[in-house]
Formats: sequence, structure tokens, C-alpha cells
Amino acid sequence: MSKVVVIPCSGMGKVYGLLAREAANKVVNELKKDEAETKCLAYIVTGDDEIRDYMNGKKCITIDGCPKMCAAKNAREAGAEVVEELKSTDFAKQMRAMKPGTATYLNEEGWQVVDAIAEKITTIIDEMEGK
Amino acid sequence: MSDIKIGVVSCSGEECFGGTISRLATRKVLEDLRLGEAVTICLPLFIAGGEEERNFAKVYPTVAVDGCSKLCAMRATEKYSGKVNAVVKVDEIIGKEKALEKVVSLRELPSDYMELVDKVAQEICKEMDKISSDILKKQAEEELKNSGECSGGCCCCGCK
Ligand code: SF4
Repeated sequence: MSKVVVIPCSGMGKVYGLLAREAANKVVNELKKDEAETKCLAYIVTGDDEIRDYMNGKKCITIDGCPKMCAAKNAREAGAEVVEELKSTDFAKQMRAMKPGTATYLNEEGWQVVDAIAEKITTIIDEMEGK
Repeated sequence: MSDIKIGVVSCSGEECFGGTISRLATRKVLEDLRLGEAVTICLPLFIAGGEEERNFAKVYPTVAVDGCSKLCAMRATEKYSGKVNAVVKVDEIIGKEKALEKVVSLRELPSDYMELVDKVAQEICKEMDKISSDILKKQAEEELKNSGECSGGCCCCGCK
């Protein structure tokens, strides 16, 4: 199976974008190095042939920080198959993390949300691989 | 503080360290160095959003901040929104090799990262100041033209 592409929205103006970014980072650089990768969302937005060709048909897990669902929409637009659309806001709500930090830095509460999102993605990837 | 609002659109690249520095430098400008003067938009909103988001670079003079030579923020902004006024190329400031290093978590940033963030943030501010001063100069010239008055100095047009 080719690597699952984990795409966070990384929203510049919101802590929820940063939660998504850090969770993706933890999955692709730590928890699922061999099974997952990420691609720059801004590169996907450019619509360049190279990245469109790469994304075409790829299995993706997206993490968005607001209802605009930028990561999911852009991944789909690039031809990827989005198997799961996660929202960092849902995780923060469930964990009652009311103040997880800022769009620049996270606090302890924020890092706990990051860990929970990353764990969820790990489980999804395991399931995809039939583990 | 000038009343002119300037858009800063950063790439936030998830694949390389240059993207992390782009993001942190842009945040520093937004919340500290040019608080109230700089505005931003999430770059992927150009596709996921509506007309209002796509008009961003038409409404605001804009500086793109890019983590590597692919210049995604600049190219995406110009493709979907409007011409940018300036581009800050992070890889030219911190070095190509460093910019292309693997992205690291904020939990593991290298000890010199703040220095790099500051350098890039200063560059963004420099571009913003240049844009503001160009706009103010143009406004002043327009006003003078409309009022029909001479700017004085060593003018020899004969006005009083
Ligand atoms: S400019 Fe480079 S770092 Fe930034 S989004 Fe594009 S590929 Fe990624």
C-alpha cells in the first residue's frame, strides 16, 4: 500500500489550524513514519500538474480547523480520495480544551489535543492496513 | 501606526523547515511587530472559500511569504486572488539547505530558530513599510494634483 497522505489545514489565524499541523507532523515524523507522509497544502492549492499527478487517487486523511474544511476540499480538488475528514475543533471540544494555546504556540492542553488527534489518525491507518 | 492594512499570506509549508519559519515569522508580524496593520488569510481558503476570500489580494496590498523556491503562497495568491506586491523568500534568508530540512514540531525547534524567525519577520516588515510608504506617497501626490497646489520648494511654475 502506498503511504497515506495526512493533510492538515495549518490555518494561519487559528489555534485549531496549529493543532492540525502539529498532529499531522507527529504522525508522519514519529508514529507512522513508514506508512504516512504529508504534502504542503499550499502546494496542492497551486494546482500544479506535478502535485495533482501525485495526489490523484491517493488515500488521504485530512485535519481541518474550522467548518470551511479547506484541507478536505483542496485534497479532493486535487484528485485524492479522502478517507477520513477530521476536525481539530471536535477533539478540543470533546476534551474540554477551551484554551489550547494560540495560533503561534500551544500550551499543555493544546499538546494533549495534538496527541489525541495523532492517536486517532494512527488507529485509522492501522484499520486501513487491516491491523 | 498607519491606517493602511496590508495582507500577509504565508505558505505554512508542512513538508520542510522553511514552511515552519514562514509561519512563525508571519505570526510574529501579525501579533507583535505590526499588530493591527497586518491582516492574513488562510491560503487554502482561496479555493475552499467564496468570493470574499478570493478578493483578498484585490482588497489588500499583499506580501507573500514562502518557505522554499516553489513559491506556493505567491503563485496560489496570484492564480486565485490577485497580484502580490512583494514576496519574502525564506530560503534566501535562512539558506536553501536549512529551508529544505525536515519539518520539526514546535516542541523540537532548534536553538537558533528565534534568530531565523526574527530575520524573516524583519524582512516582512521591511516590505510592508515599503508598500505603505508607496501608497502614502501616491495619496499625497493625488491630493496635491486635486487641490491644484504646488508642492513648493524650488518650484518654478509661478504659483504662490
Ligand atoms: S513554498 Fe515550499 S514550503 Fe511553502 S508550501 Fe510551497 S513547497 Fe511547501
